Amino acid sequence: MIRNRQTLFAAFLVLLFGCALFYIGTDGFKAYTAETARVIQLTDDKPEFPANVTLEDSNERTYSISEFEGKYIFITFMYTSCVDECPLLEMNMGRVYDSIPSEYMGEEIVFLSISFDPERDDPATLDMYKNHFSADGETWRMARINDQVELAALLETYGVIVIPDGDGDFAHNSAFYLVDQTGHLLDIIDYKNVELAANEVVEILENEEGAQ
Amino acid sequence: MKNQFIYGFLLLIFLALPPVANLLESIMIVHMHMQMPLLVIAGFLMAGLIQQRLPQFFKRWNHNGVPGILLFSIIMVYWMIPRLMDEALTVQSVELFKYISLPFLAGVPLRDSWQKIRPSFKNVIISCFSILFFAMGWLYITWPEQLCNNYLLIEQITLGWGFLTMAVCMVIYLIYNTLVDPSDYEEPSELSLEEA
Repeated sequence: MIRNRQTLFAAFLVLLFGCALFYIGTDGFKAYTAETARVIQLTDDKPEFPANVTLEDSNERTYSISEFEGKYIFITFMYTSCVDECPLLEMNMGRVYDSIPSEYMGEEIVFLSISFDPERDDPATLDMYKNHFSADGETWRMARINDQVELAALLETYGVIVIPDGDGDFAHNSAFYLVDQTGHLLDIIDYKNVELAANEVVEILENEEGAQ
Repeated sequence: MKNQFIYGFLLLIFLALPPVANLLESIMIVHMHMQMPLLVIAGFLMAGLIQQRLPQFFKRWNHNGVPGILLFSIIMVYWMIPRLMDEALTVQSVELFKYISLPFLAGVPLRDSWQKIRPSFKNVIISCFSILFFAMGWLYITWPEQLCNNYLLIEQITLGWGFLTMAVCMVIYLIYNTLVDPSDYEEPSELSLEEA
């Protein structure tokens, strides 16, 4: 009988251990893949957009992130030669753009597509690409980062993994990145869920307006 | 028993050699369906001597085998989480935990428990793992995105088919186990002849 009680206790201990193990291993039953764990980590850390990164946009203007100070920035990372994921990413970005009330556009928020392929994505190429998605080049800009060190630092900060496949294409992860007025990362949103992204952005902008 | 322990220990050391570990972990299906089971087998082999040295411990705490089987199942399911596959490659402490947990928290309790639990309970355990493997196979085959950052989609699909194959094998075993009575095919031993 005593043995049985000990065995029962052991079973209970094992179950407790199992729960603790799964709780720790999945960040409290939230992250079952390394990718979700990465997103949770980033949205907790809220890293700042590196201030020294120089962007060159489709109008050949160069500036740092301070150009957008005081505005929310809706960012995607892409390259124009991409055939599968980026067109969908940019198309969905356009759909989010269209759902934002026009009074906020350019005033409270700007859209920014950053290319991680500066060699091919020169301003002329970016200009064509932006026309393809009906971006105006002002409230939705497309830009490249010429300095490889700055580019690598930015991708590292935001956990964007870009792996060249050797044939001129890149394997990369895609998402919407929302940066607040001070340049800190606010959220990473699934780019396939346009409605969720649009609702979140509009809600943030409306709250901001209400607070003022 | 001592020999078995040495074989198990050598197997564990061999699997922990960096070139061997790197090779086995470079392919997703080998990582999950070869390296991990081999680690459990290493623990299984070592278990005999541990049981001999600590008979009271196993008698007291694993009297009916249920805690051991629970622990084994928890560890096995834990290592099926895609994130842990990734972190075993990128986080050193997770890799270390893999080499400790699979032999000692899965292999050892499995051997101690498997001889203690009733055949019907064994069938329940195998059925549960079949269902789990079907589900994991389906998940890995149909999931449209990479579940592990370190492995490509095509490897994920291969692993999915590996899961389905294992599940089918377990179902075949269960059917065989229900339909076939081994004693029908065994030569009666001398002892039973005398009895007859």
